[in-house]
Amino acid sequence: MVHALRRAGSYLRRGGTLISIRPHRTWRPSIVIVAGRSRVPVATLLNTAFEVNLSAAESALKRVVDEGSFTLAGVRAARYRIYLDRPSQIRTYLELINPPRPRFPRGGRARLEAIWNTAPRGARVEVTESLIVNGLRRP
Amino acid sequence: MRYDSAVATTELSAYPAEGFEPRLIERFVSLRNKRVLEIGCGDGRLTFQYAPRASSVLAIDPDQPSIDEALYQQREGGASNIDFRLGSIERLTKPGAPFDVALFSWSL
Repeated sequence: MVHALRRAGSYLRRGGTLISIRPHRTWRPSIVIVAGRSRVPVATLLNTAFEVNLSAAESALKRVVDEGSFTLAGVRAARYRIYLDRPSQIRTYLELINPPRPRFPRGGRARLEAIWNTAPRGARVEVTESLIVNGLRRP
Repeated sequence: MRYDSAVATTELSAYPAEGFEPRLIERFVSLRNKRVLEIGCGDGRLTFQYAPRASSVLAIDPDQPSIDEALYQQREGGASNIDFRLGSIERLTKPGAPFDVALFSWSL
C-alpha cells in the first residue's frame, strides 16, 4: 500500500492532491428496522478480516505523511444510509460487497426476523454504512 | 407493475447515492478542469459521476470484467474524457502529463 501511494504521488504535480475513500474502520455497518418514526436497532455487522486491511491502509497513509512524501490536508468521516424493502434483500446487498464481506453477529439474523415479523406495514430495513476520506497533498 | 419488471428496475447498491462521494472529495479539492488519475475505478461507478467536471480522467483497475463494463457504459453515453485502462498503479505505463488529483476509490 505504501508503494502504491508513493507511485501515485510520483504521477502527481507538485501541490497535487491524493484522495483516499474507504470504509470507516470503527464505524461498523448497522441494521435498523424503521417504520415511520420508530427505529428498532437490530445488529451491528462484523468484519474482522477486513478491519485488518483498513488498519493497513491507515498505517500506509500515516507512513507516507511521516516520511514527507505528502502532507495531510484533512480527514473527513461520513455516514450514508441504504434502504431495503425486506430482510431477504440483505443477502443480495451483502453479496454486492467485495470479500471479505461483513456478517451478522451470533443471533443477529434471528433477531432481524423476529423484529421484522412484528413490524408494522411499510417497515423497511435501514443499513447505515460509513466511509472515511483522507486528503493528502504532494509538497 | 409486473413482478419481473419490478425486479428489473430495483437497483440495489452498497455504495452511497450518486453525488455523495464527489461532494466529499470537493471538500478537499475542486475537480473542475482537473486532470484526475483514479486507481481502482472498478466499473466506473464513481468515475462517471465526477468526470464531466474534470478535464480528463485516467481510470485504472486490474479487473478485466470491471473495465469491460466501464467501457460498455462509456459507449452507452458515459463521459468521453475518460481513458479506462486495465492495470494497476504499480504497472502503469505512459500516464502522460502529471495529474492534479490521484483518487484511490475504495481501493487502498
